[in-house]
Amino acid sequence: MTTTLSLEAEVARLVVEALHLEVAPEEIDPEAPLFGEGLGLDSIDALEIALAVSKRYGFQLRSDDEMNHRIFASLRALAAHIEKNRAA
Amino acid sequence: MPADAALPLTSRAPHEVIFHRGREPVTTARFLAEVAALAARLPAEGPVLNFCADRYLALVGFAAVLSRGQVTLLSADRSPQRLADIARLHGARCALADTEAELPVPVLRPDAAPGADAPNPLIPAGAVAAIAFTSGSTGEPRPHAKPWGALVAGARAAAERFGVTSGTAIVGTVPAQHMYGFETTLMLPLHGGGAGHAGAVFYPSDIAEALAGVPAPRLLVTTPLQMRAVLGTGIALPPLAAVISATAPLDPRLAAEAEAAWGAPVLEIYGATEAGSVASRRTLEGDAWEPYPGTVFAIAEDGADVTVPGLPAPVPLSDTLEPLPEGRFRLAGRRADMVKLAGKRASLAGLTRILTDVEGIADGVYLAPADIDDNPRARLAALVVAPGMTPKAVVAALRGRIEPAFLPRPVVMVDALPRDGVGKLRQAELAALAWPRGPVRR
Repeated sequence: MTTTLSLEAEVARLVVEALHLEVAPEEIDPEAPLFGEGLGLDSIDALEIALAVSKRYGFQLRSDDEMNHRIFASLRALAAHIEKNRAA
Repeated sequence: MPADAALPLTSRAPHEVIFHRGREPVTTARFLAEVAALAARLPAEGPVLNFCADRYLALVGFAAVLSRGQVTLLSADRSPQRLADIARLHGARCALADTEAELPVPVLRPDAAPGADAPNPLIPAGAVAAIAFTSGSTGEPRPHAKPWGALVAGARAAAERFGVTSGTAIVGTVPAQHMYGFETTLMLPLHGGGAGHAGAVFYPSDIAEALAGVPAPRLLVTTPLQMRAVLGTGIALPPLAAVISATAPLDPRLAAEAEAAWGAPVLEIYGATEAGSVASRRTLEGDAWEPYPGTVFAIAEDGADVTVPGLPAPVPLSDTLEPLPEGRFRLAGRRADMVKLAGKRASLAGLTRILTDVEGIADGVYLAPADIDDNPRARLAALVVAPGMTPKAVVAALRGRIEPAFLPRPVVMVDALPRDGVGKLRQAELAALAWPRGPVRR
């Protein structure tokens, strides 16, 4: 579990840095939605996150509709998706 | 063309491929049959709110509604509240959607079911085919009626300008309900030429896959943001005939990088929801814009307007234009109060008014960063005087009242706004408060 936790913190830092957010990475509620009500991200941010993820973790995010909703459902979901898909 | 003229639903020949659904090509004949089948399922009266994400279903829906003599409401903003507002304000009788939606009107899911051969109906050129929306100064959706003749004329002009032949595959990354996306990815196949691509295309990998899945020649219709993301990811694209960009100014450096990487000309469209696409240029050939055939710009000291074939009156533009020889023009900036982000326009004064209307906010102002006109990732900032409120609470109060792209980032809480002796805001001090580290190139 420790790997997952530290990856979550790493992804929080990545998101805050890539998007120049005005929050500290540890302030992001890992269960809150990234878009809309939670962090309030939008489609410009989604592209930025996709770019940052491809550079850092070596794989591409895709628009497979429902999948995509789940991936961006929360920081935790995004970190889990990265864990599963990152280049070894 | 005279307003009493009639134009067919499509000018494509029955055997021509009008769309690609996945790897399946759809001919005009099959498209018309599917349109007729859906038209038969529609309520007796419109208007109909269409927010299908699948571009082909969006087109079948639009065409079915049009063939019944009804009006389609197009909202680029898909937030439930905005859709509900539009449905209510414009008396929508039903909505066409391919995703889950909770709306105050019945939701119909268009399915593309092959039916018997169907006619290609004639539509009066003066009939309003669609209503597109912009945000008014107070955030309410402002309608812009699109006569059928104007939409057809725009598609023909674009096909001529960009050399779109019947075999061109058009992959778009912009929503079908955004005016730019509607014109280039729905109207172009319907009346210009080329075959649309149905699937969801947003991320760099989607773009590469979608292009690889359609036959050459390929036309990519996209935005500066997505071009930047594709180039930044380093993902390879199959050979392209051309790239079209709009929604934000394209940095010539990005255009040069794209032309070098993809070996295709990068073209930009100038337009607005009110007028549609009205001019184009190849970014690397300089800053002169070439009006679309039949489109005339009137440029005066105090502003410019454009006369568009099929639209009843000249449309005022929110940019400052500089005339050049042979009807061409240069963009000399925007009117100071108007900003454009993520393909949507808003007035800083209007946003400021919404901000200061929030309960608990005593004073406040919306600011645009210095690089707003050439950085597609730029964000607006807000300075707020609201004792006891956090930036988070300010954003929470604005959410739902302001398009997400215009939510302020950052929100800076201050004791008072810097004003001079006559109460006028000091712009340089405002900027220093909002961006204390100076202008950042993001």
